[in-house]
Amino acid sequence: MAEKKQKQAKPSGKKTLAKMYKYRGFYLMFLPVFVFAVIFFYAPMLGIRYAFTNYNGIREPSFVAFKNFQQMFSMQNFWTAFWNTVQISIIKLLLTTFAAVVVAILLNEIANLLFKKVVQTIIYLPHFMSWVVTASIFSLILSPSSSGLVNTFLVKLGIIDSSSMIYFLGTTKWWRFAYYLINIWKETGWQTVIFMATLAGINTDLYEAAAIDGAGRWGKMWYITFPQLRNTILTVIILNLAKVMNLFESAFVLQNDATLSVSNVLETYIYYQSFNSGSIPNYGYTTAVGLFKSLVGCVLVLVCNQWSKKVREGRGIV
Amino acid sequence: MKKKLVSLLLAAAMVVTLVGCGDNGSTTTQDSGSNAADTNSSSDSGATGNTDATESEAAGDDIVKPEKIKMMVDGTVFTQENGRDQFIAKLEELTGIKIEVIQPDHDAYYDVVGQQIASGEWPDVLILSSTYLSSYGSEGVLWDMASAWENSDLKKRQEANNGDGVVSSMYIDGHLYGMPATHGNGCVTYVKQKWLDDAGITSLPTNYAEYYDMLLKLKEAEGVDYVVAAAGFLGAEAPFVNYLPEFYQDAWPSFYQKADGTWADGFEEDSMKAAMERLAQAVSDGLLDPETNTYGTGDVRNKYYDDSLGVFTYWAGTWASNLKNNLENNGLDGELVALSPIKEAVPPLATGASYIDRVSPAWCITTACENPEGVFKYFIEAMQDGGDVQFLWTYGVEGVHWGTDAETLYADTDSPKVYAEGEFHMKDNLETPGSQYTKAHIDPMLALTALANDPRETTVKPEALAAQALFNENSVGAFVVPSTEAMNQFNGDLMTEKSALVTRVALGEITVDEAYAEYESQGYADMSKQIVDSLNAQ
Repeated sequence: MAEKKQKQAKPSGKKTLAKMYKYRGFYLMFLPVFVFAVIFFYAPMLGIRYAFTNYNGIREPSFVAFKNFQQMFSMQNFWTAFWNTVQISIIKLLLTTFAAVVVAILLNEIANLLFKKVVQTIIYLPHFMSWVVTASIFSLILSPSSSGLVNTFLVKLGIIDSSSMIYFLGTTKWWRFAYYLINIWKETGWQTVIFMATLAGINTDLYEAAAIDGAGRWGKMWYITFPQLRNTILTVIILNLAKVMNLFESAFVLQNDATLSVSNVLETYIYYQSFNSGSIPNYGYTTAVGLFKSLVGCVLVLVCNQWSKKVREGRGIV
Repeated sequence: MKKKLVSLLLAAAMVVTLVGCGDNGSTTTQDSGSNAADTNSSSDSGATGNTDATESEAAGDDIVKPEKIKMMVDGTVFTQENGRDQFIAKLEELTGIKIEVIQPDHDAYYDVVGQQIASGEWPDVLILSSTYLSSYGSEGVLWDMASAWENSDLKKRQEANNGDGVVSSMYIDGHLYGMPATHGNGCVTYVKQKWLDDAGITSLPTNYAEYYDMLLKLKEAEGVDYVVAAAGFLGAEAPFVNYLPEFYQDAWPSFYQKADGTWADGFEEDSMKAAMERLAQAVSDGLLDPETNTYGTGDVRNKYYDDSLGVFTYWAGTWASNLKNNLENNGLDGELVALSPIKEAVPPLATGASYIDRVSPAWCITTACENPEGVFKYFIEAMQDGGDVQFLWTYGVEGVHWGTDAETLYADTDSPKVYAEGEFHMKDNLETPGSQYTKAHIDPMLALTALANDPRETTVKPEALAAQALFNENSVGAFVVPSTEAMNQFNGDLMTEKSALVTRVALGEITVDEAYAEYESQGYADMSKQIVDSLNAQ
């Protein structure tokens, strides 16, 4: 029986070819995707070899084995960027997910459909705003001057003095707080979409049964809504955990010289090393950093895949 | 499990195969320190000429005019919105050379230059600042035009106008990698006369104590948040400190050659520590805008135009007129006073109080250019021919950037300018109507060669002439730092860290002592030492 199964699972080469011929139409349709993947996903991986060379884009690359990796691990700035990436990404993920869950539940409680749709549309909008525009707007709002909305408000409330306005985006103490806040403002609305969909799918019988059992609004939320959302929340977190190393635009547009120690992330570190160093960069070094980042990302994907299989009843993310 | 193992092995084999794959000879090969000789390039332009040919041809008359030139320029050449197409069409007509333009956004110019060079698609000609001149030159990206210049009529014309010294100062280890079109120029400090009047200040400051006192009085009289700001506490490229000269004074945050010929890192000297203390004090006292940290030059100009600031250190010459016009366009008093440098402002190489005359950005020819001698003679030399081509580079295109037709311009709505038929005048700015053009690429006041029939007496305003004269009388030339391997390897990181430390000290995040302790403990002092050693070993 086991032998028969194995035979079924491993068709001979001839059978495979026959099958391919039989389904040649599908293979033909798949061909452009295959070519696209090879050209755009696999061919660029040839660049990995530069991680083991000194290469400035002008001279021929010279093989240096693991020297770039040694240099990378000995650089304080690299480790600062690495830990900043991990911390900022994970905290941002948790905060925006939490905010999205809260907002989705609140939206779900709104009875007036028109009002609900209007609110939903308004909170989705920031997601479509570019990070450059977002950074400009918040630089103005958080400006440490009388034209800065937040500082003016704090002065009027008597919380701070006009001579000691807070430079939210220019001090290490406040930068991350401001960054998380801006991210919540920009992404919470869009993230509610998936939670709203889950909420819409909850069987209303459960709420009716709970009402009969004497549950109030909080009771229903606590005993029905939250448990129903739990899987979705975990799924969202797991899916996003795999991408924590990919952080560039939001950090890049909001960071500045004064806050680099808390805002420089791996991708901005690579950018500065490549294009903003005032001298000719060593692309071998930046490729090594990029490769390290990809490897960490790869490990995270595999871990999350395993985790996802456990949480989502066998369904992985890859 | 077996399947997984096989998959892993296959994936590993693929990566190893990919790593092993390499294309040979697709990138440029260059022997550093040599001239353009033995250089092969993958660029479309094909192989470049060699040194022997350069020397013989530069002296001879058999130089062939190039048919087409690919040039990469920043925003100092007319942008698309400002009539670039008409400018290029006229340039093509005058030179008989087809011009292809690559013009990235001005603020991101050097990022894009880096990408362009790394891509192997080198332009024939590009503009580079002194920061990049030595590094790209030493890596063999740039053609050495020393021989071509020494044997050219251009040198004679520049000598006749005392402009050749600017070119001579750009030699790096005997090589000339770029040709400046103008004097470097630099910044002077402009103070609004109205603010001085409001504060009852009648005599201008001559030293730091008086300067600081002036800032305090201006703040009090105007009731503003801050009085002065700049584009960054530390400039991204040389001369680094030119936007805040009163605070930096004799400090220099990078490498310089001392009188005894040895090199030093000015960042590690006491003068720099004192400068950082002054910056921090001014921010703390509400005089220097903390958002200097994130401002670009445009942001500071706008703050100056909307009267949020009263003191602004910016380019001498034409910009004096631009600042005045923009203030008046906003309904403000446009009268500005250009300050002489305060007595403590004595940068490296200066013997007395001085502003810094930066090393001029230069027009460079890449080693990917097929016919560098031709490009030098028919494009770069023509740019300063003293005739029609120089006129075009100085004033732009007739009917687009300047004109002699009768018209009324409303840059100042209260007193529009009326020009009679036949009167030379710069036209209304295409991108920002309401302000007039003042120049094209070459500033008429900074030209290295004399221009025949130059109408600058009618176009250059008295305030621009005065600011330029003040700068010329009180400035010291900057210098080019040679490139070394250690410089290329570490200076990027080092400057980033220096800038971060200066900014954090200025904003009161850390003290000067803490900044230098961090600088030492994180290995930056060692990087600096390696660069200094490499410079001294040259």
